[in-house]
Amino acid sequence: METAFELAPAIVLLPLAAFVVALLFGNYMPKKGALAGIVATAGSLLLSLYVMAAVATGGQHQETYFTWAAGDAVSETGVPTIEFTFGTLLDPLSALMLVIVSLIAFLVHVFSLGYMNDEGETGLPRYYAELGLFTFSMLAFVIADNLLMAFMFFELVGLCSYLLIGFWFRTESAPSAAKKAFLVTRFGDYFFLLGVVAIGATFGTLAFQGDGSFVAAAGEAIDNGETLFGFGAETWVTITGLLVLGGVIGKSAQFPLHTWLPDAMEGPTTVSALIHAATMVAAGVYLVARMFGYYALSPTALGIIAFVGGFTALFAATMGVVKDDIKQVLAYSTISQYGYMMLGLGVGGYVAGVFHLMNHAFFKALLFLGAGAVIVLMHHEQDMWKMGGLKDKAPIVYYTFLAGALALAGIVPFSGFWSKDEILFDAIIVGLNEPIFLAAYAMGLLAVFFTGFYTFRMVFLTFHGEPRSDAARDPHPVSWNIKFPLLTLGVLALVAGIANLAPVYKLTGLEITYLEFWLDGQYGGYADLTYSAYGDTVPFGTDYIGSETITLLIAAGLGLGLAVGGAVFAMVLYNVPEPEPHTENLGSARTVLRSNYYQDEYQVWLAENLTLPLARAADRFDQTVIDGVVNGVSSVSLFGSGRMKRLQTGVVTNYAALLIVGFIVLLVVLGVLGGWFV
Amino acid sequence: MTVGIEYYVLLSLALFCIGLFGVLTRRNALMFLMSVELMLNAANINLIAFAFYHGNLTGQVFALFTMALAAAEVAVGLGIILVLYRNFRDVDVTVPSEMRW
Amino acid sequence: MIDAFTLPEWAALAPPLLLALTALVLFAYDSINPRSTNRPVLAGVAVVGALASLVTAVWFTLAGTGADGPDAGYDLWFVVGDSVTGTGAIDLFGGQLVVDQMALFFMIVVAVVTALVAVASYDYMAGHAYQAEYYSLLLLAATGMSTMAAANSLVTIFIALELASLPSYALVAILKDNRGSVEAGLKYFLIGALSSAIFVYGISLVYGATGHLQLEAIAEMIATGEADAYSGLLGLGIVMLIGGFAFKTASVPFHFWAPEAYEGAPAPIAAFLSSASKAAGFVILFRVFTTAFPLETTTAVIGLDWTIAFIILAIVTMTVGNFAAATQQNVKRMLAYSSVGHAGYALIGLAALTVDGGELVLGAAMMHLLVYGFMNTGAFLFVGLAEYWGVGRTFDAYNGLAARAPVACAALAVFMFSLAGIPPFGGFWSKYFLFTGALEAASANSALLLVAAALVVNSALSLYYYSRLVKAVWINDADPSLDRDFGGTPTGLYAAILFAAVMTVVLLPAFGPVADLAIDAASAVLVS
Repeated sequence: METAFELAPAIVLLPLAAFVVALLFGNYMPKKGALAGIVATAGSLLLSLYVMAAVATGGQHQETYFTWAAGDAVSETGVPTIEFTFGTLLDPLSALMLVIVSLIAFLVHVFSLGYMNDEGETGLPRYYAELGLFTFSMLAFVIADNLLMAFMFFELVGLCSYLLIGFWFRTESAPSAAKKAFLVTRFGDYFFLLGVVAIGATFGTLAFQGDGSFVAAAGEAIDNGETLFGFGAETWVTITGLLVLGGVIGKSAQFPLHTWLPDAMEGPTTVSALIHAATMVAAGVYLVARMFGYYALSPTALGIIAFVGGFTALFAATMGVVKDDIKQVLAYSTISQYGYMMLGLGVGGYVAGVFHLMNHAFFKALLFLGAGAVIVLMHHEQDMWKMGGLKDKAPIVYYTFLAGALALAGIVPFSGFWSKDEILFDAIIVGLNEPIFLAAYAMGLLAVFFTGFYTFRMVFLTFHGEPRSDAARDPHPVSWNIKFPLLTLGVLALVAGIANLAPVYKLTGLEITYLEFWLDGQYGGYADLTYSAYGDTVPFGTDYIGSETITLLIAAGLGLGLAVGGAVFAMVLYNVPEPEPHTENLGSARTVLRSNYYQDEYQVWLAENLTLPLARAADRFDQTVIDGVVNGVSSVSLFGSGRMKRLQTGVVTNYAALLIVGFIVLLVVLGVLGGWFV
Repeated sequence: MTVGIEYYVLLSLALFCIGLFGVLTRRNALMFLMSVELMLNAANINLIAFAFYHGNLTGQVFALFTMALAAAEVAVGLGIILVLYRNFRDVDVTVPSEMRW
Repeated sequence: MIDAFTLPEWAALAPPLLLALTALVLFAYDSINPRSTNRPVLAGVAVVGALASLVTAVWFTLAGTGADGPDAGYDLWFVVGDSVTGTGAIDLFGGQLVVDQMALFFMIVVAVVTALVAVASYDYMAGHAYQAEYYSLLLLAATGMSTMAAANSLVTIFIALELASLPSYALVAILKDNRGSVEAGLKYFLIGALSSAIFVYGISLVYGATGHLQLEAIAEMIATGEADAYSGLLGLGIVMLIGGFAFKTASVPFHFWAPEAYEGAPAPIAAFLSSASKAAGFVILFRVFTTAFPLETTTAVIGLDWTIAFIILAIVTMTVGNFAAATQQNVKRMLAYSSVGHAGYALIGLAALTVDGGELVLGAAMMHLLVYGFMNTGAFLFVGLAEYWGVGRTFDAYNGLAARAPVACAALAVFMFSLAGIPPFGGFWSKYFLFTGALEAASANSALLLVAAALVVNSALSLYYYSRLVKAVWINDADPSLDRDFGGTPTGLYAAILFAAVMTVVLLPAFGPVADLAIDAASAVLVS
């Protein structure tokens, strides 16, 4: 067990090594660096499984590897010192996430052989190096044992996604999308940084776990009714928690900082799979889960998380309905699904949120890789209206994609159903106790219908009906390196739900909610980072309609019914040989949806009409006043310099005279001061 | 009858100032050198007078050192004045003034 | 571990003695074989001698020679006295010479610079007829400087100072057919002669006021009040002594020789004078003012805190140096003025002394002189490299040099940024300590705020002209009409430049121990 934990840094460092190898030697390697990445991520995956096994047999591990700064600053709560460290925290949550990230990264690397190498892309060493760095950053973020380390790798994740989204930097749109992704997420990260500083200054520690963690310190401060920076302790926890949440909202593409994500489709589809399933976007939600104990202290923060999540889930799902580009549909579905996770976490459903994070990782990676396969089949055509009829020509792609779609739509027994159902169940029981959460629940529930609709609209347009273009009539073949990841993920999308069959448990009493046990530390883990510990802290009560079972059945029935309803509606409209663009009947509503609720427009408007004039004014101030002063000083100095050097006349007798004059001046000054002449 | 120490100091100060005047006004390198020698000798007067006054020999011995060093200085100085003459055909110290500002 | 072999006390003078011995060996060689231009042998002997001096000085420092207290040093193979409990400052010849940590520290500076200069001269002086004289004069001057570090009496100080000065005059003028070199030598000599006359007169006045030339004895006379009757005499004497030191350290107003001497002298000699000679000037300045004229008792006699003199000198020197450097077109002359400016920085070490403290700032000044020994020597040697290639002297002539010599130009960038005091390099820390030292002392004397402000303003200005040179070599394009034909790659010059650059960078991580050493040395002289 100890060996597993000692090897844990290797999980992180292997992809870093792959990064270096691919960058330096990629050009000379047979698959341009892919093999290094595959070997490294496979190694990471095996070691992650080893760590998971170690945790499952009752282990947990926290170790500080490197202290890179320590100071004597006294914190607000009176802690006399603060240390900034790098360390690992291996507990059920991080072990699970390690496996997810390394598995998806591994499959993405394999898939890239088919998607990038076989398609003759150039710049592959750069691609694989960036993938390696990306995986490294995310894994390091996952094992981080303190908030600052998490922040640093959070940033690195952002940088890597910037690099990868802009991989085709010679096109016009990719660099612009990369910049947008970077700037929008940076905007959120700015608040995150403030939050890190605030938490560090308040509690004198940034550790996630243990008695010396900021979570424990915050709980203590609230219990003691302390006043922190002029606020009540709970208010201050809410404020700092929301600051950190800024980073989460940016990275996990929640409203209103979701605008970068659809544009990020400019990157290679493999990158989209990685970003959406396991790394960039997942980082935000993972961070909330990681410091869930902190959010649990503040009902306000939880409520905001729940509402942001519920609203985003619905909001993004409606936009997904009218998209024609297969990747765009998936992009909006990602935003929507992360909304669900936020909703789940916000109502205190820690297990439900993590469960959905896991399931989503599998089925969204599957869908993106499936979309990538479709794009390969279609000779790099992404418009669904030019597809159709691919079902028979590429059965493996079709059936795996279908599995992913069923999971995404939340149709029993696919994995997405179980986790989404659990989230909605957690939301409704909290909502019954505190009615305001019913609004968040309602949004989440309504989104289920839209999800079912747009998912199957996508499936039917892509795979069913008659081929609508030459490419669709004569698809490009796909090889094993595309099929293998699809099959792996297809199976996972089908069966991953087994991990936590909560409804079955509640109906039959069978103790099969393994994930809940896992996250509750029943196999191994830290007592303060368990579901039950969080459950004690979460301030919400629950209520049922009738009994728990009835509520459960109502919630599951509503969710499943709406999902199936959406799917059937899509089938009616689009599962025909020659589908019509029915969404055009939506009229002006369609225009609004196609324009993404004018989110980009208003953000651009804000930038152009608010930020830009401000920046111009600041620039003018800088150019005139500041630069004027600086230039003035410099010209005065240079003029002074010109005069100063004239002292040196070149004639040695003058020097002697000046020397004596200087000496006498010094003598007189000192003599007068010292009173030697009296 | 002994002469008061202040007279020696006055003498040496006068000598020092004469030397200094020479340094400031003479353009001939040799005269410059001689003026410096005057200043050094002013110091020697002081040293010997004070040695007598304080009743220890340190000053006198140091005066000997000063003279030896003055001689060495003159040797180096004459060498430099020689190359000065070779290069500039003059021993006027104000002539070499190419490097300035 | 072998039992340490204990050397006699006079062996503590080994660093200057080895330099003197090397000079005499070269001199003997020259007497036997006057026309020899066997550069490998001559330069080799000089380098070996300088390195031997360096090694012994470092060795003694590590062995705790001259240091005091338990764990003064390591028990090395041969030591002077007891290396574990320390020897305390070693007084030799009735206190005429003293070997303590500060002496060894500056012996190291002198030896390092001498070695670098000797290595670089191998290429630079190629083709000159009087090789043996050159190296023997170089080593003699180094001997003088090294002895200055140990001099503890106005007699030995004067003799060592002249021993350093006289060969330096000859070295500056050694290019006998080069009008610039001769002009530089003449100016250096004349100002030097005038300064040493003033200096000796100052010595005679101090002797008159106290009746002693040995520094501790002078301090005792001042402390016991026996010099009270001669306060004016003593004050005048002290100011004249400052004049002599100001000449050696190239401080205003005794700096007039410096721009010309550095510009006209062969580049390695300019490096030697601006680094080693300046450091040696500072060590006697520090020693005289901390040992012979302790602040408290001297203030009581002359009615004036002498730090005021150094406050004035520091501000004026750094301002004159940096301002005059700012608009220079000639690179070597720019460096010469910058060297004047740096003397101003080092003067803060004395300006910020207080009655009950100042070891930090004095130590900072010593550190600055050590770092300066590397970065300034390196910069002048780069100029030497450019002269070797016949590049020309102005900034414009240096345009685009990086294309031809990227490594040397990278080293130049290191020197320039370190001289300007930019963080990743050694020059930053010493300047930073000087700054904080000045601020600390400002609580006692608010005039130090002015010094700190001048330090900041001048550093900012210096960044302008240092980065101008970096811009010239790295960013500007060479004038295409120039058909520059570089010779080969001079190994010696390159080696010296690269070593200096490496040391400038390495001194940053090594700054902890170096700073401790300098501050130890400073507090030792302040306490005694």
